[in-house]
Amino acid sequence: MAPPDRDRRPILCGEVRTSVLRTSEALTARTAAQLLNLRPDEHVLLSERPNLRVASPQLLTGVDCRLPSLNGSRPRAVGTVAARAVLTEGRVLQASAFARLVPGGGDHRKPWGHYLLRPGVVEPLGRHQDGEFTEGFLAAAPLPGGVLNPGAVAERLLDEVLRHRLLDQRAPFKSGRTRLRWVALPAAGDGVTSIERFTVAADGLRTVALRVAPADPSAVAALCEDLALHDWLLTTLVALVERSRLGSGDREAVLTALRPVVDHLLHLWMPGARVPDVLSGVWETLERRPGFSRQWQALVQRIRDQVALQTVSLPRPVLADS
Amino acid sequence: MLVFAASDKGGTGRSVTSSNVAYRRALAGDDVCYLDFDFGSPTAAAVFDVPGASRGVASAGLHSHLQGRHTEPHRIDVWAESEHDELRYRPTGSGRLVLLPGDRDGGEFAIGKDTVRRCVNLFLQLESEFDVVVVDLSAGRSYAVDMVLEATAQPELQGVLSRWLVFHRWTHQHVIAAHGLVFGERGIVAGGVERGHDKGALRDSIRFVRAAVPDPESPLWSHVPLAQSEWMRKCDRDLTELAAELELGYARLLGKIPLEPVLQWREQLITDEDVLASKVAGMATRQALEELAAALVDDEAWERQ
Amino acid sequence: MTEQIFRETTAEPRTQSLPLAHVSLELGHLYMEDFEEGPDRLREHFARVKPWADAARQAAVVMSGNGRARVSTCFLVDDYFTQFSSPRELVPLLLGEAKAAGLEIDYLARESACAQADGVALAASVESRLVESPPEGSDGSRPGVREVGWLSNGQRTPSSSTAEAMGRVVPWTPPSEAGARRHSIFVDVELWNEDPRRTWSCPFLAAVWQLARLGLLRHRGSPVLEPRALRPDQTLPETWSALPPLLRLNDAAAPFAAYRTTSVLPSRFLPIEHAVRVILSQVEADAAALRQVAERAAAEGTQVPEEIADRAAYVFYPGP
Repeated sequence: MAPPDRDRRPILCGEVRTSVLRTSEALTARTAAQLLNLRPDEHVLLSERPNLRVASPQLLTGVDCRLPSLNGSRPRAVGTVAARAVLTEGRVLQASAFARLVPGGGDHRKPWGHYLLRPGVVEPLGRHQDGEFTEGFLAAAPLPGGVLNPGAVAERLLDEVLRHRLLDQRAPFKSGRTRLRWVALPAAGDGVTSIERFTVAADGLRTVALRVAPADPSAVAALCEDLALHDWLLTTLVALVERSRLGSGDREAVLTALRPVVDHLLHLWMPGARVPDVLSGVWETLERRPGFSRQWQALVQRIRDQVALQTVSLPRPVLADS
Repeated sequence: MLVFAASDKGGTGRSVTSSNVAYRRALAGDDVCYLDFDFGSPTAAAVFDVPGASRGVASAGLHSHLQGRHTEPHRIDVWAESEHDELRYRPTGSGRLVLLPGDRDGGEFAIGKDTVRRCVNLFLQLESEFDVVVVDLSAGRSYAVDMVLEATAQPELQGVLSRWLVFHRWTHQHVIAAHGLVFGERGIVAGGVERGHDKGALRDSIRFVRAAVPDPESPLWSHVPLAQSEWMRKCDRDLTELAAELELGYARLLGKIPLEPVLQWREQLITDEDVLASKVAGMATRQALEELAAALVDDEAWERQ
Repeated sequence: MTEQIFRETTAEPRTQSLPLAHVSLELGHLYMEDFEEGPDRLREHFARVKPWADAARQAAVVMSGNGRARVSTCFLVDDYFTQFSSPRELVPLLLGEAKAAGLEIDYLARESACAQADGVALAASVESRLVESPPEGSDGSRPGVREVGWLSNGQRTPSSSTAEAMGRVVPWTPPSEAGARRHSIFVDVELWNEDPRRTWSCPFLAAVWQLARLGLLRHRGSPVLEPRALRPDQTLPETWSALPPLLRLNDAAAPFAAYRTTSVLPSRFLPIEHAVRVILSQVEADAAALRQVAERAAAEGTQVPEEIADRAAYVFYPGP
C-alpha cells in the first residue's frame, strides 16, 4: 500500500537472557546436546572450536500484539518470535528470542498458516516508524503488557531448560540473570556494521542498538548472544569479586569464595569468537571503549595475584586439593 | 536456602519478624530475597518502608506472576528504594536485600498445575541468585502453604535446602494452634507427606519461633507485686511444659522474640539506630533478632532432634 | 570469506529431499468396524470411491499445469487403536476388492506408523512443532492458552477457577474462532490422552499422515516413513508389526509423497478432517522440506498452495 514501506529493509529486535547453568559440573558436549534437544526431529547444533557451543533448534511463539513506541501510537503486529537456547562450555545458558519486523503485512491479520511459513517474522499491520519502535523497545522500563516482548519468550525458554532433569540444580556460585534487549537497524550506505549504543541499566537490563550490514537474522542474534555472554561474565565476575571481599577480609575466606570463579568462569572469555566478518566491528568498538577485555583482564589479574600471594604465604597448597 | 515463614494465627509478628531476619542476614553479608506470599493481605512492603508499594504493587506483583499474567515479577531493591533513613544506604559488607511484593488488592487464588510450575521456577531462579530466600506465607492453612509444599516436593527442588519457621505467640491457645498447624491431621507435615515429602526430613526442617514473649525476669516487670510475678513465672513454666508435650520444646525452638512495642505497633525493621540512638527499641529485641538470624543459617541448630 | 575456512559439519545441518508426485490419492481408511462387516463392505466402498478417484486424477492433470500428472494411491489400515485380522489375510483381500472396482493401491500404510515408524516417534515430533495461533493481545509473555493435549482454532471460554478471592466477578464469555467471519465455529481438538500410556487421537495421527503424504516430515534432516517393498523372497507376515510401516505394493507407482493430497472418504470422516485442518494450520513444518517442495514445484511449473492446510483436498462421498 505504502511504497516507501516496501523498500525498507526489515529491522531486527530481540532479547537475550543469560544465566549460569544450575549444575555442579559443566556439561559435556553429549549431555549438552541432550539438554537442548528441544525438538526431537531436529539437530542440536554443536560447535567445538574455539570453545564448546551448543544451540537448540529454533522454536516459535505466536504473537498478535502492539509494537512498542514512546509516543502512544502502537501499531498492531502479527507473526512469530523465534527462540533458541545456547549453552557455552557446558556452563553458561542463554535463551535468545528474536524477530524480524517485515513491513507490508497489509491492514488485516492473515490466516495463521501465512505466518507459520515465515518463521521469526512479525508483520506490522499498518505503518510504523523504525525510530519510534527502537526508542520504545529499548526504553529501560519493563515493556508494557500487550507490547511485543521477546524477553518474555526467552525467559520462559530459559526456565524450561533450567528445570531439565539432567541438571542437579546446584550451581557452583550464586549469580543473577542478565537481560540484553537489542535492535538492529539496517546500516546506511556502505553497509558497515556498527554499534550505536550499549546501555547498562539497573536490574540486569542492558540495551543495545546496532546498525548491521545485510546478514542472516540468526547471525545477528548470535552476535547479540555473544555480547550478552561477555556482559554476563563481566557482571558476574565483578559481583563475585565484590562478594569475596577481595582486599579486605581474611585471605583464606577470599580464596574459598574465588575458587569457583577460577574453576568455572575464567576460561570462558572469548569475545567475538564466532562473529562472522560482516558483523565484526562491534567488538572492536566495545574493546576501545569501555574496554570489556581490559576490565576482565584487570579482574583476572587481581584474582591471580591473590591466589599467588596465598600460595606463597601458606605452608600448604590451598588450591592443590581436590 | 529457602526459608518459609508460617503461622497458624494472625498477630504472631510473622511478617515483621521474618522481615527483620531477612534484614539481619543481609547485614551479615548474605544476598537476601523476601517474597510476600501472604496473598490475602500483601503488605510486606510496608515493613521495608518502600513508598508506593505498602499494599503491594500496581502491576507484576507475585499474584500476577504466579497466575501467569506477568513473566517477570516486580523486584524492589530495598537499599535503593526504601524511605527508611537507615535503609537508604547499603552498609559496607552487606548483601543485597530484594523484596518481591504482591499485587495491590490481590487476593488468595486457587492453585493449579501451572501455578506450581511457576512457583518452582521462581524458587529455583531466586535460589541460584540469593543466599537466603525468605517466603512469608499467609497465616493458617492457606493455598500459599499448599503451593509451596507442592512446589518443594517436585524433583527439581530436591537439591535445594528448605527450612520452615513457624511463628506463634507465647500463649496457651497459640501453642496448641502452632502444634496443630505443623503436626495436625491437616497440618504442614501431613500435607507435605501427601504431596510426596519425606516425613522425617520435613519434620526436621521445621522450627518454631516464639513471638511477643513476656520475660518475667525483665526489669519491665520488676515493679509488679510479688504475687503477680510469681503467677507470671508459673504461667511461663506451664507453657514451657505444654510446648514440650506438643513437640514445640527446646529441640525445635529456633528463637524467642521478646514482647516489643516497636514490633507490635510500628511493624518495621529494627535498625541499630532504633536501639542505640533513638532507643525506641530494646537491646534485647535486637539481640533476639540477631540470634534468630544467626540460628537460621546455623546447621547445628537444625540438627537437634 | 575467512569464516568459511573453518567449518564444522555438526554446526551446519543438511536436509535430504524427497521424490514427489503431483497428487497423493487416498482410497480409504480401514477400521475394524468396516472389516467386521465383511468383504461386501470393502467391495461397496471401492465401488463408491472409483468415480471420485477418476475425477481426482483428472483434476490432478488440470492442476499440474503441464498436461499430465504423477498420481500415487494409498490406503490406511488401522493397527493402532485396534488390531484385527493380519496382513497375510487382509492385504490380498484388499487388493483384490480394489482391483475388482478398477483401482490400484500403490502404497499401504499402517496407522501406528503415524505414531512411530522405524524407531522415530513421528507424532511426538509433530506435536513439538505445533505453534498455536495467538489470540489478539499475545505479546509473548503468556504461554499459549494451550491446554496440555488439546488444540483449538481460537480462544476458549476463560476458566473461572483461577479467579482471586473477593476479586471481581468475571462474566462468561463465549469461545471464539480465530479469524472468524462474523460468527465462530469453535473447535477444540484432543491431541492425545494418557490412560496411563499416551494414546494419540485419530485426528492427530491423521494430521501426521497428511504431512507424510505432503513430503514434509524429516527426522534430523533424513526422510521418515519411506516406502519399502517386500523382498521377493518375503511373504506377507502374520502380524502387523512385522509389516513395513509404509508398504510399496506397486513397483511402477509414482512417488508416495506429493505436492497435494486428495482423500476420498465417507462423509462421517468430515469432523475428523476438520480437526486435521485445525492441526495442520498450526504446524510449523520443516523449513528446508517446505523450501525443497516449493523449489521443485516452481521448476516443474506446478502451483502448490502456500499454506499446508490448503494442500489437502477431500471428497466426502455418501457412504457407510
